[in-house]
Amino acid sequence: MYQFKYDKHNKYHRAVQQTAIVIVSLVIFVEAWWVLSILANTPAVPTPGETWDALVNLVNNGDTVTDISLWSYIGASLGTFLKGFLLALLVAVPLGLILGTFNTLNEFATPIIEILRPIAPIAWAPILILAINYTIGPILVVFIGIFFPLLTNVVFGVSKIDSSLLDAAKTLGASRAQIFVKVMVPSTVPYIMNGVKVGLGIGWMCIVAAELYAPTLAGIGYFLSEQATLGYWPGAFAAIIVIAVLGLLTTGVAEYVHKFIAKRMGMDV
Amino acid sequence: MTAEETENKSLDELQIEQLEHSDPHRTEQYKSISKGEKLVSIQNLSMVYKTDESETVAIQDFNLDVMKGELVSIIGPSGCGKTTILRAIAGLLKPTGGRIMIGNKECIGSGPDRSMVFQDFALFPWRSVRKNVEFGLEIAGVPKEERKERAMRYLKAVGLENFANSRVHELSGGMKQRVGIARAMITKPDVILMDEPFGSLDAQTRNIMQASLVNMLAKTDTTVIFVTHSVDEAVYLSDRIVVLTKRPAHIKEIVKVPWLRPRDRSSPECTAMRKEILGELEKENVMN
Ligand SMILES: Nc1ncnc2c1ncn2[C@@H]1O[C@H](COP(=O)(O)OP(=O)(O)O)[C@@H](O)[C@H]1O
Ligand SMILES: [Mg+2]
Repeated sequence: MYQFKYDKHNKYHRAVQQTAIVIVSLVIFVEAWWVLSILANTPAVPTPGETWDALVNLVNNGDTVTDISLWSYIGASLGTFLKGFLLALLVAVPLGLILGTFNTLNEFATPIIEILRPIAPIAWAPILILAINYTIGPILVVFIGIFFPLLTNVVFGVSKIDSSLLDAAKTLGASRAQIFVKVMVPSTVPYIMNGVKVGLGIGWMCIVAAELYAPTLAGIGYFLSEQATLGYWPGAFAAIIVIAVLGLLTTGVAEYVHKFIAKRMGMDV
Repeated sequence: MTAEETENKSLDELQIEQLEHSDPHRTEQYKSISKGEKLVSIQNLSMVYKTDESETVAIQDFNLDVMKGELVSIIGPSGCGKTTILRAIAGLLKPTGGRIMIGNKECIGSGPDRSMVFQDFALFPWRSVRKNVEFGLEIAGVPKEERKERAMRYLKAVGLENFANSRVHELSGGMKQRVGIARAMITKPDVILMDEPFGSLDAQTRNIMQASLVNMLAKTDTTVIFVTHSVDEAVYLSDRIVVLTKRPAHIKEIVKVPWLRPRDRSSPECTAMRKEILGELEKENVMN
């Protein structure tokens, strides 16, 4: 009789084992949810089955209240997210490189940064959204969420630049500007990517929270709050699942890009 | 044979030629050294490192002249100030006293007329091997095609033409330093400064590297200042060996090595010279 023997040095065996563990973990999660929803015995905690039906309905028919499709909700959220992310990248990366290079400037900026950084980005949401407007407000909330982890990583990256690379560039005749472009920027790219990775996770949390405040902005967060307000709990849970999947995809892509770039740049991850 | 043709030879061909001992260019070069055309002049160099707690006098009133085309090695106890001297010449450190002249021009700041080879290689990990070698040309604004062509010639000279597109982390230590040397030579600097360039390599690789350095230098009139802690290396490579005292470094002795390269490490003359220099260094370590 054929006897299967697990070999931990065989990557296929490992992959099958890991997949099996993930499946078992998800099944137990869903079972536990099911048990809890029955025990709780309230419409506010729908069963996984009810949620699944709502999710299928959402994918097929969109929001039946407003007649907006799921895809345009997702598109709106991703659009806001992308704008906030690009803005953060455009501001935090050059600023981080400058602060990392000029010590005095960094000492000057640190108190300001340290006052602002611990404030939860979501705390800005009511102010920015109600005081500015429903379009720019959420973008700025996402911007704040991504900005600080990105900035800290870039400044740290500059402090980690191998000084002998700077020396090598100098002895080959590089000017300050050339050193900046040809040594400092590429040296910090892996750190920038790490900041992006952390920032994307936080940014995604921010977008959904910000949309809760924005009644006219048709994002997935808006859909969630609409369903909850109307008491359509399975629909609200379906929205949460969509948010989770999109969050997972965003960080997954960021993780992959980070690894890829770090490898390209010859750095260890 | 033109310089161009020599440069296009593979390492193997060059090694064979080296064994034949008959390159007229090299003999010519040796004559010009003994004629003595001064290139680098270190005058009353002093360097004091200040920190909050202490002041370290690394170099005090140090003087040394290096001739054009000469390979001078600097050897001395660890911490005596060898790296400091080299970094001052490279313009990476501003001396607290004295000055350094190249020809009749004072060196202030770094420049492509003095390039450096580092013990830790200091290669750019995000660039390919060829792009590392090209760096100095890129800085100087040499057009892309010419850069590529010149880089390939230098890679060929160090035996790495098949690794042009490799990434730095794929190379062994010895190969990395070949890239470092090619990168330093490609801009045709007046002086190449080498700070224990083979210090992190194993003994066998080190010997091979020394032989190929001799090869490469034979084709140019490049001047080299070579810091090492290996007496064997100094005797094998140098025209003159500068033996330093403990910190702050003074010149204890300058030993002339009058033999043509390539040399036989195990010859009686070399052995005797090694013994003499080791004795001097020993005294330096025993004293107080
Ligand atoms: N940046 C620095 N700050 C303070 N002291 C230093 C610095 N660099 C070197 N030194 C000191 O100067 C002395 C000479 O250093 P170095 O030139 O590196 O010696 P070597 O290369 O001969 O080993 C040592 O005592 C070292 O501790
Ligand atoms: Mg040293």
